[in-house]
Amino acid sequence: MTSLFERLKNLFGKNRRALPRGADEDISVLQDKAAKEKLGKSLEANLQKIKERGGFSYDISLRRFTAGDLPGALVYLDGLIDRRSAEEIIRTLIIESEKLKITLKKGRGLEIAREKLLTTDETSQVDNIADLFTGISRGGAALFLDGSPGALICDTRNPVIRPVSEPDNETTLRGARDGFIENLRVNTSLIRQRLPIPQLWIETITLGRLSRTEVALLYIKGLARDKLVREVRSRLQQIDLDAVLGTGYIEHYIEDNPYTLFPQAYRTERPDKVTASLLEGRVAIMANGTPFALIVPTELPMFMQAPDEYFEPLPFGIFIRLLRYAALIISLVLPGIYVGVVTFHPELLPTSLFLRIISSREGVPFPVLAEMLILELIFEMLREAGLRLPPAIGPAISIVGALILGDAAIRAGLVSPGVVIVVALTAIAGFTTPAFSLSVAFRLIRFAFTIFGATFGLFGLQFALLLTLVHLCSLRTFGVPYLSPLAPLILSDLKDSFIAFWWWGMRTRPKLIGGREPLRQPSGQKPAPGQDPEEEKNN
Amino acid sequence: MEKIANRQLYFILFMIRCNIAVAFLPVLTTADALQDAWISSMVQFFPAALLLLFFGSLGTRFPDLTVTQYSEMLVGRWTGKALSMVILWIFLHMAAIEARTYANMLITVLLPDTPLVFLIGTMVIASAAAAYAGIEVIGRAADLLFPIYLLMIIGSLLIPLPQLQTMLVNLEPVCARGAGPILRGAITPALFTVQYLVLTILAPSTNEPKRALRTAVWALAGGSAILIPIAIVTVAILGPVRGAQTVFPIFGMVRVITLSEFIDRIEALAVFAWGLGLFVEVAIYLYCGAKGLSQVMGLGNYRPLILPMAVIWTAFGIQVSKNVFQLLEFFKPLFFAPYALIIIIVPFTILWIAYFLRRLSRGRSGAP
Repeated sequence: MTSLFERLKNLFGKNRRALPRGADEDISVLQDKAAKEKLGKSLEANLQKIKERGGFSYDISLRRFTAGDLPGALVYLDGLIDRRSAEEIIRTLIIESEKLKITLKKGRGLEIAREKLLTTDETSQVDNIADLFTGISRGGAALFLDGSPGALICDTRNPVIRPVSEPDNETTLRGARDGFIENLRVNTSLIRQRLPIPQLWIETITLGRLSRTEVALLYIKGLARDKLVREVRSRLQQIDLDAVLGTGYIEHYIEDNPYTLFPQAYRTERPDKVTASLLEGRVAIMANGTPFALIVPTELPMFMQAPDEYFEPLPFGIFIRLLRYAALIISLVLPGIYVGVVTFHPELLPTSLFLRIISSREGVPFPVLAEMLILELIFEMLREAGLRLPPAIGPAISIVGALILGDAAIRAGLVSPGVVIVVALTAIAGFTTPAFSLSVAFRLIRFAFTIFGATFGLFGLQFALLLTLVHLCSLRTFGVPYLSPLAPLILSDLKDSFIAFWWWGMRTRPKLIGGREPLRQPSGQKPAPGQDPEEEKNN
Repeated sequence: MEKIANRQLYFILFMIRCNIAVAFLPVLTTADALQDAWISSMVQFFPAALLLLFFGSLGTRFPDLTVTQYSEMLVGRWTGKALSMVILWIFLHMAAIEARTYANMLITVLLPDTPLVFLIGTMVIASAAAAYAGIEVIGRAADLLFPIYLLMIIGSLLIPLPQLQTMLVNLEPVCARGAGPILRGAITPALFTVQYLVLTILAPSTNEPKRALRTAVWALAGGSAILIPIAIVTVAILGPVRGAQTVFPIFGMVRVITLSEFIDRIEALAVFAWGLGLFVEVAIYLYCGAKGLSQVMGLGNYRPLILPMAVIWTAFGIQVSKNVFQLLEFFKPLFFAPYALIIIIVPFTILWIAYFLRRLSRGRSGAP
């Protein structure tokens, strides 16, 4: 009895705190310890420390050697390094030091090795356990020599990466085919290749207490406004989280208004898109481990641009832009208009059309709003299912969903063909938006629009549109109004908004973003035939 | 401080001017101008501009101050507050009238069974959201809505064009009854300049306050210019007598039109055009009312006032008249002219006198 009582007391009472919880083993405590734990001069003590702190993990590899008469060791993580460069380091220390008659003196061994022997391109001195593990996790090999304090991280990286390939989510017909991968170095080099100028500045900052992810801030010095760069940098520096597994995490921390459906940073996998944005004076944020770059600041028209417009003949470019905007509006209001008109204002329809709709609704057991919402939800499910399925059986879903389900539902008289047509049209219209993040936002508010349309007709739709407009007008990303250049109206920037323009006409950069160096190119470059002096002579 | 561009002020004032014309077409319905209504539309610009210059040019002498601030400076604290309240009252009254008219029209055209409070309330909520977001947001919304608004208005004027040619006889005879009816028709639209009192609150918020008055005059000219084709087309299609008897002449006109078998109900276009303009207009009235009231009461922030004001305005929108005919009666020159004139003339005459007295006394004491 007493023992049971004691146990209860332990569970609920004061004593609970006294139970062993391994307070000194918590991750934050361990991290602090690792950062403070200095590497000493003794080789054996250091190696022992590393093994213990690393929990004797199987991939911590250790190669001992003796250079001259000085015992040393190379510590690395198997699988992350290039073995040949590791061998090269050891060979250099053992053989070259003999040949060149360089003695590694006890106490200054690492220094001498670094200055006179090692040929690896990047070396850095570390003196605590935390930095050591960060170093070797990024593909370094830690060199220890007995008697020298700390360790030397030599760059031997052989990162595990996939090749650069075409981004699946943002395909173009005539644009560049390379896309970002999960390695930051490769990603920044893709930008560097496009902008071989010293003014492309890349700042790095390490984020994530546990993941210690390298995050890069890219901008063109002298083109991006200093105030913008300072603001982005300070927002990045304020982030304190445990791990950055994607730029989406960062986006949550730096966006201006967290309570909005609309994307406030442009996510892209395309280096050409990032380069073009940098050239407009924007700032890009990239992180190790994710193929998505973030571009800030953004405006809504930016989400409606695709690279194709700049590569196709211009009239076609303008046409597809306008078409896309029309589709965006259709995807937002069409279900609402259908429900509203059928419920409240049938007199607005021509009589013959109205009779067709009414006769096709004959016998349908649901009100038109329920019909619309159910079908919209089913479509969303189909879309999600198609996304999660492996590509091989993806088409099966569309056959089952679209053909069998839709056809059977109409034949059974559960839904009317009009609603099916509207949902299908809306879906197609929604897919024309180049940026997924924007189409998601519009897809969500579409439900609200449908309900508004069903409760108070076209007037309700107008109300919903006006509220959305107020919201969009009040949004800003890094000081830039979200609807610019449409609201506030900036006439000179309309050339690249809902229309496009010949590239020789794109004389100025966006006023609010690239206003620091507004002129992009000189005027008067409109091509005109007959300017060739040789040809004129012949005539 | 939040700023709007003078271009945005132009759009806002243009829409404010156009709105009431789209709804009532006062040149036609308030007096007996009949087929000469389009001449009245031209004539009304001159007295309207004079009135605008009368109260607007005092503001240019205090480019950084709103009327509530400089009236306190000129005539003392309590008199100034009292004069400001007269001006703030007109914002409330005009917004209530406009919202009520719109609701009434929606009931006649689109939603016959919807309660009034619901329609007015919804419209005021949307506008209150914009007013709460601030003048910058209203300005941006105006930027986006103005082209759409103008396109819709012009569109609803272009659609009847094919039928217009045969109907132009309705405009004859021109000036048959002398200048009297034309001038009487111009009275009410000219006095709608009371709407432009918002300028006295908005001018300091523009990028170039000194040019705000010029912007306002241009907006008045633009809004009046669009009134002329509206008057011509409406009278031509409906006929002068029938047009003068219709409550919403333009909707009556658009309703008569059948473009083809397929498109025969295009008045929805005009209704929504007006809805867009009304949204901007009520938002501006709410903003100016709240801003002015916060300055009169010495509050630092106008935003807490928006919600209670929106509720009161909704209630007032319902109470402002029994029905739409009573509203129309209110706009007859016999009643509206003294009302609007008193609202404009009394406070600003006092302010002008105070201003000149101040300058005189300063000149006497030798100060620059």
